[in-house]
Parts: sequence; C-alpha cells; structure tokens
Amino acid sequence: MLAELGLVLIAGLKFGSIYALAALGLVVVHKATKTVNFAHGAFAMLGAFATFLIVVHWQWRYWTAYLVIPLLIGAVAALLEFVVLRPLRRADLFTVVVATIFLGIALAEAFRLTYNTELLAVPGLFAGQPFFVGGIFITREALWVITGTLATALACIVVFRHGKIGRGMRAMASNVTGAQLCGYSIDRVYMLAWFLGGALAGLAGVFIAPIAGVSVELSIAIITAGFVAGVIGGFDSLTGAILGGLLLGVAESLAAAYVSSAMKNCISFLLLFIVLMWRPQGLFPERTGRRV
Amino acid sequence: MSEKGFRAATSAPAIFVLVCIGAGSVLGSYPQYALAMSLVAMVIGVALIVLVGLARCISLASGSIMAIGAYTSTLLMVHFDVQYAVSIALAMVAGAAAGWLIALPGTRFRGHNLAMVTLVFQSVCIILLREAKTITGGAEGIHVPAVGIFGWRIDTDGDFLLVIGLVSALIILCLTVLIRGPFGKNLQAVASNEVAAEAYGIGIPDYLAAAFVISSIAIALAGALAAPRIRILDPDSFGVLSSIFMLAYPIVGGMHSVWGGILGGGGLRSLPEVLRPVADYQELFFASLVILVVMFFPGGLVELVRRTSALVVRGRGQRDRKSAAAAYPPDVMIFAAPHAQSSEPLLCVEGVDKHFGALHAVDAASLEVPIGGIHGLIGPNGAGKTSLFNIISGFLAADAGKIAFAGDSLLKLRPRDRIRFGITRTFQHVAVFGQLSCLDNVVIGLGRNQVLNSMRESLDRFLSGRRTAVMRRQALAALAAVGLADDADLTAATLSLGNQRLLEIARAMVSEPKLILLDEPASGISEQEGEHLLKLLLRINSERNIAMLVIEHNIPFIAKLCRTMSVMGAGRIVAQGRPADVISLPVVRRLYFGEEIEHALQR
Amino acid sequence: MLAAYFPRRLKPMAPALFALGLVSLAGSPAGAQERGITASEILIGAIGALTGPVAFIGTPGRDGMTMGFNEINERGGVCGRKLRLQFEHASTPAESVAAVKKLVEQDKVFVLVLASGSTGAAAAADYVRAAGVPTYNLYGSTPIIREPFSKNVFHGAIVPVEVSARGLISMFYDDGYAPKKIGILAGTYAFPQATLKAVEEVLKEKKTERAVEQFDQAARDFTSQLVALSRQNVDSILVLGSFSEAGFAIKQAREMGLAVGRWVLDGSAVSRAIIPILGNADGIRGYFNVPYFPGQTPSVREFEARLKSYLGSMPQGRPNNYDMIAYGAAYVIALAAQAAGCELTRDKLLNAWSNLKDAGPAKLGGLDVSFPESYTPSDHQGNYRLGAAIVKGGEWQVYRIIERP
Repeated sequence: MLAELGLVLIAGLKFGSIYALAALGLVVVHKATKTVNFAHGAFAMLGAFATFLIVVHWQWRYWTAYLVIPLLIGAVAALLEFVVLRPLRRADLFTVVVATIFLGIALAEAFRLTYNTELLAVPGLFAGQPFFVGGIFITREALWVITGTLATALACIVVFRHGKIGRGMRAMASNVTGAQLCGYSIDRVYMLAWFLGGALAGLAGVFIAPIAGVSVELSIAIITAGFVAGVIGGFDSLTGAILGGLLLGVAESLAAAYVSSAMKNCISFLLLFIVLMWRPQGLFPERTGRRV
Repeated sequence: MSEKGFRAATSAPAIFVLVCIGAGSVLGSYPQYALAMSLVAMVIGVALIVLVGLARCISLASGSIMAIGAYTSTLLMVHFDVQYAVSIALAMVAGAAAGWLIALPGTRFRGHNLAMVTLVFQSVCIILLREAKTITGGAEGIHVPAVGIFGWRIDTDGDFLLVIGLVSALIILCLTVLIRGPFGKNLQAVASNEVAAEAYGIGIPDYLAAAFVISSIAIALAGALAAPRIRILDPDSFGVLSSIFMLAYPIVGGMHSVWGGILGGGGLRSLPEVLRPVADYQELFFASLVILVVMFFPGGLVELVRRTSALVVRGRGQRDRKSAAAAYPPDVMIFAAPHAQSSEPLLCVEGVDKHFGALHAVDAASLEVPIGGIHGLIGPNGAGKTSLFNIISGFLAADAGKIAFAGDSLLKLRPRDRIRFGITRTFQHVAVFGQLSCLDNVVIGLGRNQVLNSMRESLDRFLSGRRTAVMRRQALAALAAVGLADDADLTAATLSLGNQRLLEIARAMVSEPKLILLDEPASGISEQEGEHLLKLLLRINSERNIAMLVIEHNIPFIAKLCRTMSVMGAGRIVAQGRPADVISLPVVRRLYFGEEIEHALQR
Repeated sequence: MLAAYFPRRLKPMAPALFALGLVSLAGSPAGAQERGITASEILIGAIGALTGPVAFIGTPGRDGMTMGFNEINERGGVCGRKLRLQFEHASTPAESVAAVKKLVEQDKVFVLVLASGSTGAAAAADYVRAAGVPTYNLYGSTPIIREPFSKNVFHGAIVPVEVSARGLISMFYDDGYAPKKIGILAGTYAFPQATLKAVEEVLKEKKTERAVEQFDQAARDFTSQLVALSRQNVDSILVLGSFSEAGFAIKQAREMGLAVGRWVLDGSAVSRAIIPILGNADGIRGYFNVPYFPGQTPSVREFEARLKSYLGSMPQGRPNNYDMIAYGAAYVIALAAQAAGCELTRDKLLNAWSNLKDAGPAKLGGLDVSFPESYTPSDHQGNYRLGAAIVKGGEWQVYRIIERP
C-alpha cells in the first residue's frame, strides 16, 4: 500500500519537476516583460528535438546536450523576441498573447513538417539498475530528473534575486520608464528575459526527452502544464512556480491512481479552479503588499 | 450620421449574408456546403467581437460552447424526438446557461486569469461529454439525424444554405444592433476604463456577464446549425485547439467592428478549402497569417480595407467632423438666473473615519456642501483628500461616519448607483473612454446604463431612433457648453489633455446632476486653460445650479472658484470657511510651509 | 514515369494551384459518360489525415495506394485506363464531410477511399450512404462506420472491433499461457474505446477476470494506472493505444518492477518504432493487419525497398501496416474494376466488387503483402484475418494467422 503510494509520488514528482521548470521559464519572462509566452511549450519541444539530434542522430556525448541546448534554444527565443515581439511592444496585452499562441503553433507545425513522425525515442542519461529504496524502485532517470531540474530551478532563483540580471528585470517590471532612466535598456532586458526563459524551456526539453519522447504533442502538454502550475503557484513568484509545478504533478498522479484515470485532466483543472477562486494570487505568492 | 444611415449601416452585415445566399444559389453543391460553413463561422466571428473585441475577454471556451449547442440540439432530436427548429432554440438556451456559468466566477478576473477560468470550463466540458458515453456516444461520436423544419425535410446543400443563411443573417443583425448601439458602447467603456464606467452606472460584472451570455448564445446557435452538416459529433472536434483557431477570427478580421467578425470568420473558415492543394502546410500557413496580421495590421483585415479605401477616397475626414454638429442641433442653452446660494446642505459628511491598517487615513472628517454651492478641499499630499473623495464617491468603504445626500444615506450605495441620485465625478488621472468618440463619452454620462436598459436603447436606436436622437442632442449641448462641439466625432484618445478634462466635465454635467465631484480638475493644464476652466465651472454652477466639491492643489484657482473650503491635514479637517479666511490661518500655513517658514512669515 | 503522386508534385506548383483552387470553388463542369471514368483514366478519391495525431494512418494510406496505382499503371492500367489518385487531407468529421463532398460532387470521383481515423470515416460513410458512390473503408474499425449496411460501402483489411477483440484475447492464451486476471490500459479516444467495448464483451463471455484503467491521448505517464492495475492483481496487460503510449506504459511497468506475464498490444501499437523506446522488446505480442511484418519475407522486404526508393528516405516506424494495407487496397480496387469489364459503370463495379474472391496484389503482378479480400453481396467485410505477432530478436514477426472466428 505504502509502496504504491511511493511509486505514485515519485512519478508525480518526476513530471512535476518538469512542470516546475516549465513554469519557472514562463514566470521569468512574465516578471520581466509582463507577457505570458505561449510559445514556451514549443521551445521545450525544440529542446527535446535537439536532444534527439545530439544524442541519437549525431551521437555526441550526452552531457553536451545539457550545455548546448539551453544556449541554443535561448538564442532562438531571443531572436524571436527581436523579430516578432519587439514590433508588438506598443500593442496591448491581448495582441501579444495571441501572437505568442500562434507562434507556438507555427513552431510546432514547422517541426512536424521537417520530421513527420509520431514519436522520436531518446535514451536516458543514466542507464542501469534502478535503486530499491523503501520497498519501491526508483529509476536513476527519475532521480536525475527530479534533482537536476530542481537544482537548476534553485540556481535560477538565486541568480534572479541577487544577480545584476535579475535586478534589471525586476526594475523593468516595476516601472519601465523609471528603469530606463536608471540606465537599463529595455531592449537588452527583454531579450535577456526571453533568452533565460527559452534556455529554461530548452533545458526542460532535454530532461523530458527520455521520459516522454519527442513529439508535437509535447509542446501543448508543456505549455498547459506550465501555465496551470504557474497560476497555482502564484504567477509572479519564482518559488511559487516551482512549488506549483510539483504540486500539480503530484496531484495529477494521485488523482489518476486513486480517483479515476480517465478523469485525470479533469481533476487538475478542478484544482486550478479551486485555487483561482480561493486564492487568486496563488498558493505561494511572492509579495503580500497590496496593489493600488 | 443620421438615423436612416445608421439603420442602413447596421443592417449591412446581415444584408451581406443574404447576398451570400443569393450568390450561393448558382454554385455547385460542394461550394454551397463550404459557403454555408463560412456563414456559420461569420456568426461565431461576430459573437467573438462582442466578447473578445469589445469586452476584451480572452476566452478559450468557444469550442466547448459550440459543442454545447451542437450536442444539445442533436441529443434532443435523438433522445426526445424534438423538432429541429425547437432544438435550435433550446441549444441557444443551453448556450446562455453556459455563458452565465462561466461568468459567475469569471467576472472576478481579468487577463490571463480569466483565460484560465475559460480553459477550465472548456476542458471539463469536453471531458464530461466524452465520459457520458451512454448519452453522448462518447469519443466515438454520435450520429446527427436528418433534419427538417416542421415537415419540410432539409436535404440538399442549397436548402441548408438557405436555412443556415437566414438564421445567420438574423442573429448577425441582432448582434450588430447590440454592438453598434449603446450596449456595445458601454461594453467598450468597460474595457476602456473600469473605474469611470462604474461611476457612470455601468456595472462591470453585469456587462461582462452579458457579453459572455450573448456571445455564448450565438456560438451555441452556430454549433446547432453546423451539426447536421458535420453528421457525426465527437468531443475532440471541439477541443482547445478549435477555441484557439476561433480566437483568430476577430483578431485577423479586426477587433472593433462587426465586419471584422465577418471577414475574419468567413475568410479563415474557408481557408482550408482554398488551401487544399497544400494541405500539409495548412496549419503553418494559418498560424503565420495570424502572426503577420497581428504584427503589421493590428486593426486586422478591416483596417487593411479601410486604409486602401482611404487612399482612394480622400477628403472625407473634414466633412465628418462637422456632421455630428449638423445632425443634432444643440438644445438652446437655458440661461437661468443665478440662484442665491441656499444655506441648506446638499451633501452632509459627518465624522467619516478610515483606517488602512495602522494608518489613520481619514480621521472624523466632516464637511458640508450646500445646494448649488461650490466647496473646495485642499491639503498637502497624503492628507487624506483622495481617500475622503473616494469614500464620498463610493469607491472606498468608510469605517465609521455618515454621509447624507439630500436626506438619503450614501454609505451602502454602490458607485454605479450614485448617478441616479444625481452625483457624478471627474478623475485625477483623466478617465475618458479613449476608444469612443467624444459624443459617445458624453452620452454615457447621461446614466441609465443598466444592461437591459442599454439593450432596449440599442433596439430603439435601430428601430426608431427617437430616444437616441434626444440623448445625442443633450450630449451635444453639453459638449457645446464646454466648447468641444466641433470635436464631437473625434476619438477621445486623440484629444489633448486639456480637452480631455473638458470632455470629462461635459460628461459629468450632461445628466443635470445635483453635485459634481471634481478631482484636481486643473492639474496638468496651462494657465490659459485654467482661466477658461474656471469660467466654465462658475458658469455651469450658476446656470444649472449644480453644486461642486473640488479637490485642488492650485490654491489661486480654487480660491477663485469656491465659496467655502475645507483644509485637510493628516486625515483631519483642520480648518473650514471662506477661502480668503482659511488660507491666512496660521494652522493652514504651518500645514503647507512647515513650522519655521510659518514663523518667518509671522515676523 | 510515376503517373500521379499529387501532393509531392504540388508543392512547387502551390501558387498556381492556389488560384486553381479558388477557381474550382466556383464549380467545375467536368463530366463524362460515367462520372470519374474517361477513356484513359479512372479517378479515385481518398481522404485521410496528413497532419495531426493520426497522421501515421493517413500518410501511409496515401503513399501505399499511390505506389500500388503506379505499379498497376506501369503495366497498362485496367482495360487501358490508368488509375489516378486524388488525396484530400481530412481528419475531423467536419473536414471529412467537406473533403468527401469535394471529391464526389466536384471532382466526380468514381471510387472513394476512406483512409482516415474513426470519427472522420464515420462522417464520410454517413454521407456516401446517401450518395451511392462506391466507397472503400480502409482503416475504420468502429461499429458506427459499418452500420447500417450499405451496398456501396466495402470494408477492407482492417477487421471490425468484434473480430480484433477476439484476436487480441486469443493471444493471451497462445503457447500454453493462461492469464488469471487481464488488466486493460485503454486510451480515452475513439478507436481504443470501441475496441475496449468489444474486448469487455469477449471477456465477459469467457468469464475472464479483468480490470480497466484509462489514459488520455498522447499520455506519457502511466505509473498511476499501472499502480491501480497492480492493486487489482492483474498478471497480464492488454494495451489499447498507439505505439508511443504502449511503449512508455511497458517501460514504466518494468521500471516499477511490475510482474507482467504477458503484454498484448492493439494493432496500432505494433510498429518498429516501439523498439527504441524499450530497448529490449522481446516477448511482447500484438496483432498485425497483414500476414507478414516488414523484413519477414522476401516480398515484404522488396516492398520496403520500393517504398524507400519512392519516398526518398524512410520515416521512423515505416513501413507500418497502413502502408501495406493501402498498397493491397489499390490492387483490390483494380481487380474489382477489371472484373466489372471494360464497359465500366458504377453498378457493374458494385456488382463485381460484391462477388470478388481472394483479391490481392499477386493476381495483378504485385507484391504479396496483404491479406486477400473476399466479398459477398450480403457481407462487405473483405478480410477477417489477423496476424498474431511477437517481438523476437528485436524484430516483430507474425507467428500465427488468426483465422476468421
């Protein structure tokens, strides 16, 4: 009984930590630019695809994927910010949201056209026997995904809170004109934010490639989960994004195991709804100051 | 534009649909099928103009609403042998219920949180449709039976085109009447500036709920119309992706006009038929098209058409500017004799208290504004003036105290109800409805902006236009009174700040209120404009006996304007009386200049 | 040389065809003595999903059929007439009805082929029953496509779910194995749900213990469902879903240490592409809709070589059974047309088709890669057989032909 619960929790944490990383990328971009990037899932899919190319197709060393791909996808994201989003900077929120939604669709379609296959399988980084702990099997893969993504997420938070990069983004989010007057360049900060968001998405793709394979559906799954996790956690809170992602993953897993597997998605959405109604600022919001 | 012109312009989209039916009668059956589906998409497009274009709500639930309409109609026919026509009507009722259900929690949220609520509804709906296998057929789908209208079997594509076309034309006409009439204007006001909308009687949750309900009725109808053509209904056809593609209709078409819904819906829905030779690239093309339109033509296809036709037909701009003034000769201004200042209090504020946590923002404040009087409220920053003001105008709740207006208590009243009592206000940060014309801004100022009332007015405007004409004449008179008559048709956002402040005053006075609350009316304007404003306010007060309560920092201005004045400091009223008396008081000087300077001045 | 591979040639001609498409919307006056037949060609229309989650069905449908028609045309066609394929993308019911209307009413095809998934095929079948066009359903197995019976609708290699359900269950008992309790992992979308219903009927009949868990389309985490199944003490598992879903389910079951005596997969999961997900897939069973798996006999090896040279490069997981079924289907159509005689009319075709016996590619000089099909005037299901397959040495192999129950 407990062993079962353990398995379900581990699976929930495994996917939940991917959701956490995805939500983190979304929140980073939102904190700096006040826009939600709905193409985030497509970036993760591209990261997963790049992992396939590096590990399976070109057969480089696996660890290079973890270094190269975040930089690559970050660069792609920054480029798209420059080309597509910059002309829209004066446009209202709605227009930008819609532009990013369709940007994500366009990227997913472009991928499907170049590599028309249902799924590309990618091997995991660590092969080998699973660990038998407390009566349950924990695969090395699961362990790596959980620790790797969480470590990245924490590093990201530290950088954002204390680094110069983070300061610029937070200033820009507070008051664009003020920040500009203090010497921060809006172009540079926005591009950097998208670079960081894209890098996080790409990294999420590298982690998810072995456990879910590369497919077009990945892009929708990641953005939905990331967004829901972000809202549950509290959309402008970095720690909220992480905790929201973990909570979502675990809740989904528990619901499918103990309530109904067919209603798995239904239950995640109901969780989201409850959070929105009861604590619309999220479960782990960053600021408690009032908005005027 | 004249009322006959208005009626023609409002009927035009529906007539266009009828023309499509006519044109379609000569086509083959496959093109007729494609055309009928495009007409259904036009209905959806126009419905989304209401929700997404005017009310600015990002809704991801359109697919599920369409499913609700289609399934309701089909299930009633399959399980209960209901007539098709009746089932369509019931599908519309189901759509209304769904829209209302989304609005219940939804109107609390804006932006992406609202999108989340709609996403929850969408996903849960589709899952429920899929899981209720015995009723709905589940994932495999349910067969839509053959349909007829009270005996007449609808068989051929031509028949379907006729039926779908007529129903679509009718619903598009209804939607257009609402969009172009006061209902649509009020909805745009909500999206433009919520605070000002509330202050003039436009209840935000009511209007947003109405937007959801109305658009859902139309989308559900579209689903019921399309169902017999699709032949098999399955939940997956109405998933999130379909909602996202429908969202593209108003965006690509143009978000603020009915034609945008028509062009966007009709055009995008027929795209797959046109792109058959390159079907592989269809979705990529679609997505790229939306991105390009959003980037380079923010006004959508409608804007594109307008720009090209503007290149062709120049010089119409000038004529339009005068047209409003010509169409509605302003009421002759009534020059009443200046009233003697009555000593009876109109507004009586007693002992109002407000705490923000530890901060005692308003401390037992009391003041009076007599009928037809002008009372000023001054004080340094942070003294609590705006808080007191917001309490009086209903945007903030008092912790204690009494506020009586002509005998009635204002305390429990919502902001939107104040206009009925004869209280209006202007705002410190100018709060005109930028997207609307100056005339429309002032018409809103007349009040009577409840949802059902504005719908009735919209219908009236379309049918006879008499009440509308009366209202527009009053509005023009108010604009003339502040000197903006020539700008009546201009979009409010294009005005200079000074003119926008005048517009706010026109809006505040058009309903002939008993009291106008003015929040820093002279801030940010030049001295010359200040003089003009002063004369204007004094004239309004004397001619129409409108009392005023004014917050101002500009002491010379307010000293000339008011007959009595209160001074606030640290939440308390520290002095009250005639301007000349109050300003020279030592306690007031200390408040503004501090202890040392006060001493220096005394010497 | 290659008579008509429409979509591939269309790509550079896209702008011209765009304009043509617009013009064609106004209605085309194409007509002949019998619609879809001219002295030199027979027009065959087909619909299927070229994009989206079920593209692994539609794209092979187009490719396999085109290859078949090309070969037949190279040998002179049927009665001197070449067979030309017009393939339209469609996957949802709305798209399918539109595509079928265009093919039937505008392009005036002689024969219509349904290569789309369940719901799309059902909508199209609904339409053709009224229109009367000879229609060939290749891949749809759900009941809603087959009912009511219609004399112009024929069902090819893919068997009804009642038959495949029996085949699936029978594989649990192959080679002396006897399951105590069968766990079923079923997708919530159309095709697995129809199969699930039929499987539950069969299990009820055999009084076998079972437990059911479900997953959403494209799900990747099956831990919860596997835990629930293990809680209900299943010892064998049936997976009704695609190869990606089945692959991850089996992978996760192994990682959990779940003891599963036998895995049986539904036909859509039996594909080479499942092997890389698992590494070692030996012992996993499933049914295949054609008698041999690619690589198993010389003729299917030749088929694979021809497909590769035709496509240029082999996409992952191809050829799959949909490729081979479609190839066989091209030959069935040609054989029916041939049997109808050179004075070809719709009624003659329907008559000839309804009496076709053992129709397969070998009869017209093609490669033997599909089950031969036989029809009677009252039974329009051409094939009732399945190939029971198992992974051995890293490759799928059909080890037994499951005959008609």
